[in-house]
Amino acid sequence: MNQSIKRTMAIFQKDYKDFTKNLYVSSMIFLPLFLAAFYGRMGVQSLDMVFMVFNLTLTVIAAFTQSALIAEEKEKNTLRGLMLSPAGTGEILIGKSLVSFLISAIVLIFSAFLIGYQPENALLIVAALFVSILFYLGIGTLLGLITRSVMEASVAILPVLLFFSFSSFAVQLSDEYPILKVAEYLPNSQLVDLGYAVQNGAGFGDGWAALLIITAWTIGVSALVVAVYQKKMVDK
Amino acid sequence: MENIIEVKRLAKIFGNETALKDISFEVKKGETFGFLGPSGSGKTTTIKILTAQLRETDGEAYVFGVPAEQIKQNHYRRRIGVLTDNSGLYSRLSIWDNLKLYCDLYDVPATRIEEVIEMVNLKGEEKKKVSALSKGMLQRVILARSFLHKPELLFLDEPTSALDPVNSRHIYRGLEKLKSEGTTIFLTTHDMNEAELLCDRVAFLNNGTIQLLEEPKVLKKKFGNDMLKVELTDGTEVMIEKGPKGAQQLFEYMNVNKVAGIQSNEPTLGDIFIEVTGRKLS
Repeated sequence: MNQSIKRTMAIFQKDYKDFTKNLYVSSMIFLPLFLAAFYGRMGVQSLDMVFMVFNLTLTVIAAFTQSALIAEEKEKNTLRGLMLSPAGTGEILIGKSLVSFLISAIVLIFSAFLIGYQPENALLIVAALFVSILFYLGIGTLLGLITRSVMEASVAILPVLLFFSFSSFAVQLSDEYPILKVAEYLPNSQLVDLGYAVQNGAGFGDGWAALLIITAWTIGVSALVVAVYQKKMVDK
Repeated sequence: MENIIEVKRLAKIFGNETALKDISFEVKKGETFGFLGPSGSGKTTTIKILTAQLRETDGEAYVFGVPAEQIKQNHYRRRIGVLTDNSGLYSRLSIWDNLKLYCDLYDVPATRIEEVIEMVNLKGEEKKKVSALSKGMLQRVILARSFLHKPELLFLDEPTSALDPVNSRHIYRGLEKLKSEGTTIFLTTHDMNEAELLCDRVAFLNNGTIQLLEEPKVLKKKFGNDMLKVELTDGTEVMIEKGPKGAQQLFEYMNVNKVAGIQSNEPTLGDIFIEVTGRKLS
């Protein structure tokens, strides 16, 4: 196995073992699943509700889990050990994101199943959710890097959670408050828009703009993560 | 002999506080170099600069012939091992799992875990969860991790500070083995016995400056007073010179069976440190 992949997988395996023993973080996966099961049983068909569950999954699982995993590494001084090892920035950041990525993907699939969401163009929605997971992982990593402990990260994630879970609803008020039009360009709003477009028969040709906007956010956040990580390698 | 570390007029200032003032020294390949000083004297700051965890304010620091800042490149990181006060372990995982991660990161076979576990006297404890370990055991696991990959250069910041004498002795044997295999050791400590036992050369660091740099045996000779302490059978102690006059005096005591014990009156490194810096090591 390529040495770089071996190092990335070593960090992933360590995180997986650690995650299964970390009840504080692992128990969070039940929140979106519970909500999805609740809406599914109630027979909720509104796309807004479906994507609220998706956005909640992304913020609670991808962003929160990731921020807690990174913040704990900082709190317990283990991140410095990784930084001083031969593992490079990419290997550490990817290795540290794989657990959150896989869990987010699994919870999203189960949530969709529990709500009974069957999009016309599943591939387009999967592509958008894939890029969205990466965006929220970036947000989680960033919060984990700038906070000093899991507790601090748990508090810092709250506004992020509220902002990205519910700001798509703000777009509905943009006629009354034009400034809220900005919210249309947030990745969570783009995801909801894409959901509606797909429901109305849109394919890749029509959905590329939304995908591109979410991808642009992801690239921006990833660049910020790498810059902050590099800065954190050296003490002040 | 080739220099592994070269430091020239290194300075570090944190805000209004000067941690290091123009320190200069070299560490030769294969030697154990002791950096001795009380808490807050700048020992950890020096290690952090040499391992690219901290930027110097002024001066130059070279490790393996390249500026210390370049040590963060992967191929250099493979050649160094570091134990500092901010080294941590994964508390929910076992000792073995913690070390296995680093075996994979350094591309070292997992069989090496047994060797290092033995060196730090933790045989049979591998499956124990880190959260269940005592402070001394934690320190030994972190130490084991620092030399798991047989580094060319090992930075140890107070490696035995949390250990009892029995475990410290185990560590000393392990470090001597590493040294015999060619590892250069940069050791900071305020334990003068440890320094005396392990170090080829020592530097006394006080208030951010190096006040003395020499081999322990040379220092002892330099600061010694060439006297012998003779303990007599009546419980009194007399100091006698090591020369012919002292020999005559000693003969007289021995002739009447009055000598209970003879000790060399060499100063310890601790005595010398206090004499040079006027400060105690604590």
